[in-house]
Amino acid sequence: MNRDAVIQAKEKLRVAIIGSGNIGTDLLIKVGRSPHLECGAFIGRNLSSSGMMKALSLGVPVSAEGINHIINNPDCCDIVFDATSAKSHFEHAPILRGLNKRVIDMTPAKIGLMSVPSVNMADCLNEFNVNMVTCGGQASIPVAYAIGQTQSDVDYIEVVSSISSRSAGPATRQNLDEYIKTTEDGLKEFSGARRTKAILNLNPAEPCVDMQTTIFAKVKDPDILKLTERLSELVKSVCKYVPGYEIILGPIVENDRIVVMVRVRGLGDYLPAYAGNLDIINCAAIAMAEEYAQVTLNAVSKGN
Amino acid sequence: MKQECQERTRHDCMRVLEGRDNALEPLRKSELVVIGGTGFVGTWIAEMVAALNDAYDFGIKLTLISRSADQFANRLPHLANRSDISLIKSDVRQLGQFPANADWVIHAAANPDVRTHASNPLDTASVIVDGTMSVMRTAERLGRLQKLLYLSSGLVCGAQSVTANGIAENEQGAPVPDASFMYPNAKRFAETLCSAARAQSRTPVLVARPFSFIGPYQSLDTPWAQTTFLSDALRGHQIRVKGDGQVVRSYLYGSDAAYWFLRILTAGEVGDVVNVGSPTGITLQDLAKEVAKNFEPSPEIMFNTAPRSTGRSAKLLPDTTHAQNVYGLTVFTPLEEAIKLTALWHRLQNN
Amino acid sequence: MNPTQEIRISDPTLRDGNHAIGHQLSAENIAAYCKAADAAGVPIVEVGHGNGLGASSLQLGEAKTPDHIALATARENMNRSKLGIHVIPGFATIERDLKPALALGVDVVRVASHCSEADICERHIGFSRNEGAEVWGCLMMSHMISPSMLLEQARKLESYGAEGVVFMDSSGHFMPEDVRVRVDTLVNGLGIAVGFHGHNNLGLAIANSVAAADAGATLIDGCARGFGAGAGNTQLEVLVAVFERLKYSTGIDFYKMLDAADLAEQTLMKEIPTIKSVSVVSGMAGVFSGFMKPVTRIAKEFDVDPRDIFFELGRRKIVAGQEDIILEVAKQLAQQPKKGNP
Repeated sequence: MNRDAVIQAKEKLRVAIIGSGNIGTDLLIKVGRSPHLECGAFIGRNLSSSGMMKALSLGVPVSAEGINHIINNPDCCDIVFDATSAKSHFEHAPILRGLNKRVIDMTPAKIGLMSVPSVNMADCLNEFNVNMVTCGGQASIPVAYAIGQTQSDVDYIEVVSSISSRSAGPATRQNLDEYIKTTEDGLKEFSGARRTKAILNLNPAEPCVDMQTTIFAKVKDPDILKLTERLSELVKSVCKYVPGYEIILGPIVENDRIVVMVRVRGLGDYLPAYAGNLDIINCAAIAMAEEYAQVTLNAVSKGN
Repeated sequence: MKQECQERTRHDCMRVLEGRDNALEPLRKSELVVIGGTGFVGTWIAEMVAALNDAYDFGIKLTLISRSADQFANRLPHLANRSDISLIKSDVRQLGQFPANADWVIHAAANPDVRTHASNPLDTASVIVDGTMSVMRTAERLGRLQKLLYLSSGLVCGAQSVTANGIAENEQGAPVPDASFMYPNAKRFAETLCSAARAQSRTPVLVARPFSFIGPYQSLDTPWAQTTFLSDALRGHQIRVKGDGQVVRSYLYGSDAAYWFLRILTAGEVGDVVNVGSPTGITLQDLAKEVAKNFEPSPEIMFNTAPRSTGRSAKLLPDTTHAQNVYGLTVFTPLEEAIKLTALWHRLQNN
Repeated sequence: MNPTQEIRISDPTLRDGNHAIGHQLSAENIAAYCKAADAAGVPIVEVGHGNGLGASSLQLGEAKTPDHIALATARENMNRSKLGIHVIPGFATIERDLKPALALGVDVVRVASHCSEADICERHIGFSRNEGAEVWGCLMMSHMISPSMLLEQARKLESYGAEGVVFMDSSGHFMPEDVRVRVDTLVNGLGIAVGFHGHNNLGLAIANSVAAADAGATLIDGCARGFGAGAGNTQLEVLVAVFERLKYSTGIDFYKMLDAADLAEQTLMKEIPTIKSVSVVSGMAGVFSGFMKPVTRIAKEFDVDPRDIFFELGRRKIVAGQEDIILEVAKQLAQQPKKGNP
């Protein structure tokens, strides 16, 4: 059956989610709310996990067969969210490319273009594989980008993120180094800074703290006015897909450096709202998928 | 897997089988399934089955079920590609596909890595408890099942006191209900599930309690004494012994362990509990010296690298009177030899 | 207390001391002190930015001497003493920071986390151990959890392969009994060695260290003249003297230790550590001693009382590494009506 005809008959694009942990399950719930996306397959390893139970309760088709489910049922999806691990994604990426699927990589594998919707949405639309960087990256890159655009000679950008201890599971804790490297690469890419540094703190305080990220920058002759203006445009853009994103301090110059502090409060779809770190990367991923979907559906309805 | 290494592990199995193959007769022409079949125990059982089939014409059909089945196939094609060995990739908690004609089942699925127990105690619990429940439910449907052997742990009776000479199967203690002891607690509960399966479903289950092992196929990355000492020596570092080295452990070689498990599986009475391990203790100090002997130049051994004020030493030894009296099982490969073989195997594998 | 019990001293003068001077120790400083400590027979000398390897940053202060130069310099100037580093995952990565440090000849790696977050240390401990280093786990701000929770975290470190666990009184908050209970709990619950790192905010660093040794700790930290964050660390040359009187043997030459302390006083520090008012407050509030400089600076900038900032940080249970929160708190306090106004 002609693929375009199939799409024409639909109002939504179908997605598959590989990885039934917290990230995958939160994506599942967000997909359910989307006017342009529906979940054609929720794929994991453990059928009795809470994520799988959630999917079943929502009437979403589940599978424990991993990537094979997509190979054997290629019509189940047009877009794939990979929320497994970097190692697994290296395996999945070529297979999914061969099947012509659009891939949104939630892992640190970083095979494709880094995607920060408020900054480079247009560039990402042409790509078959985009990577969502990290939670700290999604929170700080819009600011780093604004700095790169408005300041002359950006020497150094440093980002410190604090997340609540309870929002950091074993996977986060065992992958701090990957988080740091990926965030630093993302910051460099989007700001043009000569050097970057990322730091992650886990805060065990109760009640749980929201995700908070501080961006420091060393630039020549800081222009705070220009930065403030550009930043407020970008923040509006981010808030379209991450309503809980807020600048709580700055931009100011303190102790010879530009300082901006951002807080992200999550939507509380799957994990509690304090897990803004989870939410921001997922909201960004959904925004990416919805844009693909809208463009594809529009093209189909216009072009044929 | 280097050819020479394959030959060595085959040789290890042949040595153990000599004069003892008849005790495993019930396995002849039968179907054996090992769940968690790609770990240390599962791999050695596969080696033993391959030896039984090749040298003694046993005709056993072996199925290994594991969530890392594909990695096993990549690492050990000399086993995975055999026509008498099949692999099923599956999580123990969802045993969808299971050989319906299994005569014998060994449930060895659990991750013995203490680091995972510490960082992921909930996942550790789930694999052991949910996994064992899933195996028991699956066993209810196996029409030809003769025996199911569950691999528990020598730690289910709690920490041993300094003076005890060996933990017997009827030991009364229990581990403290604390996340730091999730592994033995989960294993203890899983043993209880086995008993429940016998009571409720008449499933022919019996239990083995493994203590410590040594041998090829054991990842040197794990932070146990025997693996750390070998790893240090292989890397050309000094061997570091925490404390005064007076802690006592015992180690059973892989081929011996595989034979013990198969013997207990086939000869065991339903409901039996059997310790599997070497009853002969060795201090970590002596273990380090034994390991060092196998390297030229001999690595320096550092004791008391981090001294403790209380010289409290712990022993972890199985009492194997039961295994010996009822099953005729003893240590076949002396520890000195076991260490020598393991060191050599790793050196060959890494060259 | 046993007669001639051995106590191993670990000396973070060139690491914790860096907190006191905004991480401005020079290569010359490091060379000179290392020579002196080596001559005195100090077992372990810890070198680096106050927050450890890879921590030089705007958040925590930029070091005058990059890690690789600091460590190479230290290594060159010590023959008997072991070279140690403090490593916090989240600041230091294995590839960028730890691997090169080990290649420079670091002997002892102390992988540290906030006291309740030991599982972030798993990989760094494993890597260091595989490279043949002596590895310890380190639990910071340990007053923030109960002794039994501390044991739970320490057990994780043990399972990752650490040879010992040091718990730190990072804010100088403990009373000797608090230390005794914790050492006792750890010694009885672990199969590995136990160490203690004290701070002097409430004037109890020496007493706390003695309590630790009496309860079975075998590794104690101390800094020359107490050179360290906030009110300073346990004063090492005093500790050596006290241990000698209590018949603990440290293996350190007393006179040479005094010489090293004199050298530290003359060349490393701008002032000898004392317990200033702010430090009493941070000790009471249980806030990380290393916050003293940024809190003092920011309090001035925002025209608020630094003592109020400390108590608020304590109330919010802010942990080490969260210096950015100081700004937020100062801003909030500045917006409140000043005390005493109608």
